Amino acid sequence: MSLSLKIPDKCIISFSLIGGMIVLLTILSLSKMAYAQVTDIPYFISVATNSKVVDSILLTMGAGLNAVILLLIFGIPLAYVLARVEFRGKGIVESLVDLPVMLPHTVAGIMVYILFMRRGIIGEPFSEIGIIFENAYAGIVVAMLFVSSPYFINAVREGFEKVPMHMENVARTLGATRFQAFRLVVLPLSVRHIFNGCILAWGRAIGEFAAIIMIAYYPMVISTLIYFRFTTSGLKESVAIAFIMILVCFVIFAVLRRIMRNVGRYDDRV
Amino acid sequence: MIEFDHVSLSLGSFSLKDVSFSIKKGDYYFILGPSGAGKTVILEAIAGLHKTDSGEILINGDSATMQPPEKRRISLVYQDYSLFPHMSVADNVAFGLRRQKVNKDEADSKVNKILDEFGISYLRKRAPLTLSGGEQQRVALARALVVDPEILLLDEPLSAMDPNIKERFIEELERIHREREITIVHVTHSRKEALALATRVAIVIDGKLEHEGLKDEVFRKPLNRKIGEFLGIENVYDAKSRGFCSGKTLLDIEGGIIEVSGEYVEGSDLCVFIRGTDVLLSDSAPPNNPEYQVFEGTIADIFQRGYFFRKVGVDCGFMVSAILSDTYSESLALTPGKKVFVRINYASVHVSDNR
Repeated sequence: MSLSLKIPDKCIISFSLIGGMIVLLTILSLSKMAYAQVTDIPYFISVATNSKVVDSILLTMGAGLNAVILLLIFGIPLAYVLARVEFRGKGIVESLVDLPVMLPHTVAGIMVYILFMRRGIIGEPFSEIGIIFENAYAGIVVAMLFVSSPYFINAVREGFEKVPMHMENVARTLGATRFQAFRLVVLPLSVRHIFNGCILAWGRAIGEFAAIIMIAYYPMVISTLIYFRFTTSGLKESVAIAFIMILVCFVIFAVLRRIMRNVGRYDDRV
Repeated sequence: MIEFDHVSLSLGSFSLKDVSFSIKKGDYYFILGPSGAGKTVILEAIAGLHKTDSGEILINGDSATMQPPEKRRISLVYQDYSLFPHMSVADNVAFGLRRQKVNKDEADSKVNKILDEFGISYLRKRAPLTLSGGEQQRVALARALVVDPEILLLDEPLSAMDPNIKERFIEELERIHREREITIVHVTHSRKEALALATRVAIVIDGKLEHEGLKDEVFRKPLNRKIGEFLGIENVYDAKSRGFCSGKTLLDIEGGIIEVSGEYVEGSDLCVFIRGTDVLLSDSAPPNNPEYQVFEGTIADIFQRGYFFRKVGVDCGFMVSAILSDTYSESLALTPGKKVFVRINYASVHVSDNR
């Protein structure tokens, strides 16, 4: 290819310049934070090794993962039904699935709270068998589950829809039950979409703040901790914690993307 | 045996309206219809993938309506082959055997045998999406047949192939039908495939069964204009009987009069079909022969048809089209405007009392 072909046209150049503003904001903010840490490394290390910070990061990541596992169990069947079945009222179900995307997070928090509080419809029977949601790990998980479910369900549903119905039909005529056709054909061909759904949902879950504090201010997830330190100890400490969180997320997502690079890739159609 | 007993079925924009026919064991049955007529849905209904709105599909005399597809011993091959992209060729072929809980050694030997039969053993470890269309089709057929089905359903199996491979596959399908004594239901819009392979043919247009019967009967004696045009019969005329005498009937058609053998009541509405290949042209008056009727006309247009044929339109008051070989057409030096004599054998004219 000659060099002249590699120079993009005016349209692409101007689009890149305009669009680059958004990336620039992120870069600016990151650099400012990084600069603050690099210039005071001993302080950064002391914050990074602070047990409260470490515990909070682990709690956030763990609860997020827990929410994703619950989504895998409950979300996959729902996504399959939405992908394959036409029924009356489907539009309403779809809107309900999407609702958490549009709601202010405090509203989502209230919806979770009225169900899972000690006197709530679900919280009350559970508290009788010793599972408490208010100010507890379980509360964090359900709040995360609620706000991240649309991202997971829609991604997985799209994956199921991309598996041609013909393949399922062929599997069935060859002696597979509907469930076997799902397990042996649809599921393996949707691995990438399911994985993407998990990443989106996890990312959304660990970033949640408002919905979580409504039901569980304690134990503090990382967002709560950062906000708490920001209001009580000031900017410097909260920036250090935030920067650690950024590093952790960045590394985890990069590693996951790398692992998944070639998994489940058979064809561009599927 | 497959029986459609007044089956109605609608699915999206497609619908099947009160369709009845039966397919006997060992038939090579063709369902012919224009593209987009939803012929695939008929196959899926036989396979048990769609529920009928009314009527029943009986398989070997039993109502199949309640039986799920996995219990029917009916294999289906789609036009897009639908190989599972995440499995090797061998795993694709073994899929049905695994579901039947055939033990691994037996399954392996069955897979090997059928891969051999189709001449594709060298593909066994390959991924389906790296194969050519013809190879994918062989794998799909092997996968469908390895489970030893009673009925094989083929959805436009040849339409995505280039002509040379198509010829070979027609032979392959003929071999499968002969050697396995299996019932095959094949849907297509291609008359050529049906002519080569079918024992019986059904014509489905707009969800309605227009005609059903032995191949020769359906192809040679179309029931109405719609079928005649779908079958590509070059000359189809609406006609009105003028009355008959001594075994022949005179028919009014637009722009002329034509004589046919047989007796049709005066004033009855009829439809006349003459294949282009049955219309003979010559540049001098043919000798008198009671088997033929002769018209004089002028050539209106000439089109190339296929590789070696020409379609010649002749204006005899009414338009008639003849199909001639290239060489014959050149030997007569046919050009538009030339005067010719048109000869039509009474025996090759088909008259239907439906329009």
